[in-house]
Amino acid sequence: MTDSQPNSTIRRDDALWLLRRMRLIRQTSERIAKLYPTDVMETPVHLCIGQEAVATGLCHHLRDEDKLFLGHRTHGPALAKGLPLEKLMAELYGRSTGCSHGYGGSMHLLDLEHGLPGSSAIVGGSIALGVGAGLAAELGAGHFVGVSYFGDAATNAGVFYESLNFAALRALPVLFVCEDNGFSNVMPKSEHSAHDIVGVASQMMPTASIDGTDVLAVNDAAGRAVSRARGGQGPQFLHCRTKRWMKHQGPERCDLIEVDIERDCPIHKLERFMASSGMVTPRELADLRSAIESEIDAAIEFAERSPRPDPNLMEA
Amino acid sequence: MTATETRPGVKVMTMIEAISDALRTEMKNDDRVVVFGEDVGPKGGVFGATAGLHEEFGETRCFDTPLSECGIVGAGVGMAVYGMRPVAEIQFLDFIYPAFDQIVSEAAKMRYRSGGEYTCPMVIRSPYGGGIRGGHYHSQSSEAYFCHTPGLKVVIPSTPADAKGLLISSIRDEDPVMFLEPKKIYRHGKGEVPLGEHTVPLGRARIARAGTDVTLLAYGAMVPVCEAAADAAAEQGRSVEVVDLRTLVPLDEQTIVESVKKTGRCVVVYEAPKTCGYGAELAAILAEKCIEYLEGPVVRVAGFDTPFPYTLEHLYMPDEKRVLAGIDKTFAW
Ligand SMILES: Cc1ncc(C[n+]2csc(CCOP(=O)(O)OP(=O)(O)O)c2C)c(N)n1
Repeated sequence: MTDSQPNSTIRRDDALWLLRRMRLIRQTSERIAKLYPTDVMETPVHLCIGQEAVATGLCHHLRDEDKLFLGHRTHGPALAKGLPLEKLMAELYGRSTGCSHGYGGSMHLLDLEHGLPGSSAIVGGSIALGVGAGLAAELGAGHFVGVSYFGDAATNAGVFYESLNFAALRALPVLFVCEDNGFSNVMPKSEHSAHDIVGVASQMMPTASIDGTDVLAVNDAAGRAVSRARGGQGPQFLHCRTKRWMKHQGPERCDLIEVDIERDCPIHKLERFMASSGMVTPRELADLRSAIESEIDAAIEFAERSPRPDPNLMEA
Repeated sequence: MTATETRPGVKVMTMIEAISDALRTEMKNDDRVVVFGEDVGPKGGVFGATAGLHEEFGETRCFDTPLSECGIVGAGVGMAVYGMRPVAEIQFLDFIYPAFDQIVSEAAKMRYRSGGEYTCPMVIRSPYGGGIRGGHYHSQSSEAYFCHTPGLKVVIPSTPADAKGLLISSIRDEDPVMFLEPKKIYRHGKGEVPLGEHTVPLGRARIARAGTDVTLLAYGAMVPVCEAAADAAAEQGRSVEVVDLRTLVPLDEQTIVESVKKTGRCVVVYEAPKTCGYGAELAAILAEKCIEYLEGPVVRVAGFDTPFPYTLEHLYMPDEKRVLAGIDKTFAW
């Protein structure tokens, strides 16, 4: 239950992996925000700008076969877990080449190859599914961990308690990751929760509370939690405090939340660390940014020229 | 508020404004009326149904709740049993399932299992139905689950004036009412709404359009679709009667049966999945009560038996063309 200190001994390769994934998520989200008002995407979008470090630090330790169950704020964790960008874009455009064949949309991203069995728009809905995946692994379905990934308000739903209790009683290989951005739509946490999330979780399982805007801290804590869950030590809880820069839904900035880039931006903080420890040059950082822009251009082009799903399927 | 006053005592409003007006009117009338749900307080709800109520009536009368549908409804049942008139909002009907147990096992059975000692005068308001490109979990029409549960009333308005009148009647009713709001037509067109006191009794259908050749039975957002189809059919020389059910439970059987006896033909239009939808019940009632008057099969024009789609919404929702094809089928007999 202690705050982890950033691991300044991180290897350059690992730091670069984290930076690339976070930049991919950030720049993709920013592009979606820019395109969204043009109505090319027929789906609500819950962006995660500012929250990139949580999913990225976590997924650095997950394997393709580990099962990550998401809620409605999906793009970041899905990209972090390995969902190919073009499949995300095509899904947002409602095309048959999308990760859910154009039948899912933003809140229902699926990629079996990369351990994304699905996500639910019903807040709290998929928490129990991560437990089920852990139980399946325990019963011999394979060597993987189940991961339930959710926001702070999901802890208000009964299924949250039921799931933690079940996983803890049976000592299942499950990771609960709470991406605590302090808000449920426009309601601050103080108005929607009387409980302390860490206090509740730590009654049932080892729990770490981390600065979720510090990707090195998340990376460190997630590494330990994942290896404990994998090693048969039962469920683990990661509570990551972060900030949602955008409105709950849609492409606009949120005016309820004060953002200080130096303090709050996970990408800025990692870049600063990497530059000061000589891991990257400004030139390399600029190259990375523009390489990702080109990737996004290509993904959008792919989405635009993909066909829509076959409407006849519905009549079946 | 964009509502405008046309003549004394009446204002032209959208449905969402009329719902707001009904809540405000009843909160003024009756101190026991308390409005609560996710984001209904200072934000005024995601669609604005409770806009201004928190400011006007204060935190004790209109407040935010945690993201806990089961807890919201359960607390409402307890309040209702102990003398309050709770009006709970479930943000989208798609989110109601965590509360299903409280609705079916507690709210609906309170009166019966107490031998009438307790009633449960509670309203659960919720936007429902397709038409806003919301995808799977912001579009469903699950009215049939509630109609299948004895002890609940199920009310669905299709005009601003009815929305106000039916909501006030629902709040005053002694039993739990599922008040389902067709969000597609929240801001669709405006209509005249009486100011202040205005009630519409539960259990009385409305003849939205009189006709003689075929009856269309509809509710919610399907009523305007049927009216448009009626206009188009009139051009082909067919006189179409459109009956707006208004309340599915209790159902105004008499109006429906009389209409079908008169026209001899019936198309039931609803946007929920076809199988075991409310239209099946209507068809069964017509078969029992007036089969000898039917000159063709009762036809269902409905959604499809799939989850609500994401990009295919325009094909899923019954539209004027599909209703006209349904009318043709009743004549092809
Ligand atoms: C059961 C349920 N209730 C309500 C909603 C509407 N809703 C969607 S997201 C949200 C806020 C969720 O907050 P949190 O769980 O903290 O996640 P965040 O949006 O902050 O990522 C609400 C109220 C829903 N989708 N499902």
